[in-house]
Amino acid sequence: MSVADWFRVRGRSLQSISFSLHRLTGLVLFIYLLMHLSYLTSLKLGKEVYESLIATTVSPAFLPFDILLLLATIFHGVNGIRVVLNEFGIGYEARKAMLYAAYLITAILWIIASVAMYNFVVGVR
Amino acid sequence: MKVIFNIRRFDGEKDYWQSFAVPVFRGMTLLEGLFYIKENLDGSLAFRASCRMGVCGSCAVKVNGKPVLACETQISSVNSSKLDIEPIDNFRVIKDLVTDFEGFFRKHEAVKPYLIRNDDNYENPVELIQTPKQMKSYYTFSLCIKCGACYSVCPAAATRSDYLGPAAITAAWRFIADSRDEGKEERYEAVCGDNGVWRCHFAAECSEVCPKKVEPAKAVQKMRIRTALHAIKKVIL
Repeated sequence: MSVADWFRVRGRSLQSISFSLHRLTGLVLFIYLLMHLSYLTSLKLGKEVYESLIATTVSPAFLPFDILLLLATIFHGVNGIRVVLNEFGIGYEARKAMLYAAYLITAILWIIASVAMYNFVVGVR
Repeated sequence: MKVIFNIRRFDGEKDYWQSFAVPVFRGMTLLEGLFYIKENLDGSLAFRASCRMGVCGSCAVKVNGKPVLACETQISSVNSSKLDIEPIDNFRVIKDLVTDFEGFFRKHEAVKPYLIRNDDNYENPVELIQTPKQMKSYYTFSLCIKCGACYSVCPAAATRSDYLGPAAITAAWRFIADSRDEGKEERYEAVCGDNGVWRCHFAAECSEVCPKKVEPAKAVQKMRIRTALHAIKKVIL
């Protein structure tokens, strides 16, 4: 009995796979939150320290990671809304349609957000 | 045609995989395959079965990762020449494919899965009238055969052994939704803890694998709303 059981997906439906992905993206976001707070805390060490950290991560080299982080965030948010609705007893009968819709919305939002981020970081201003 | 039954076995100390080549015929079920092995290839193979017709819920096993009733699953329907057969997850394995259902039934018992009436009178029993509509409101949930398939795929049960699980909560809902029952309050108390309905995170796999299409995930969510209202009422009144 361990948290590895959250990620048991063999033979499972998309419902379970979504649960596993939700947990996984949750862990990713938690690690990101810690990094984010570390960055903000670095302001205490001086503006230069903060700006040097930002210069490293807000760069074209980090863009793929940012885009993956966007995917994790958008999936976690959209899937989370689906789960909340289902857990309120809303749309149980349409749960499969809601699941497919969640993936579709995630894909659309991810593409839009990725383009916006690319323009911001690479500098198509 | 022969199909390989690759079975995860457990002898009390170690678990290991063992393969058997089973000659199959059209319409042959997994359970018939297991009986073939026991009768012809290895008499020490342990598995549980009783009714052979999807009623008793004894023969749930995991085939290629998915829990199924061995008696209701035709080998050809799995669509594979090699079947990985394992005991279902989230249960302690006793031997080979036989798992310990003691805790599962204790949880079932905890939700009082029987009609509770304030006017029980066994000397002069009265018929409890119910309309077809009233019966329909709980009928689906009454079809559970306690095979444990739902519990075995539940990630909430996988990480917390005292979670009541989908089957027990469905049993609670089956009686709460029954117009003849008068024991709702007792059952709300039994399922409203953090090891009850609030442990569910809606992976909804229970409804996907249920061989009787009982829809435990639906019962858990219905129960969740009722217990929430019950808890609010308890605070206000």
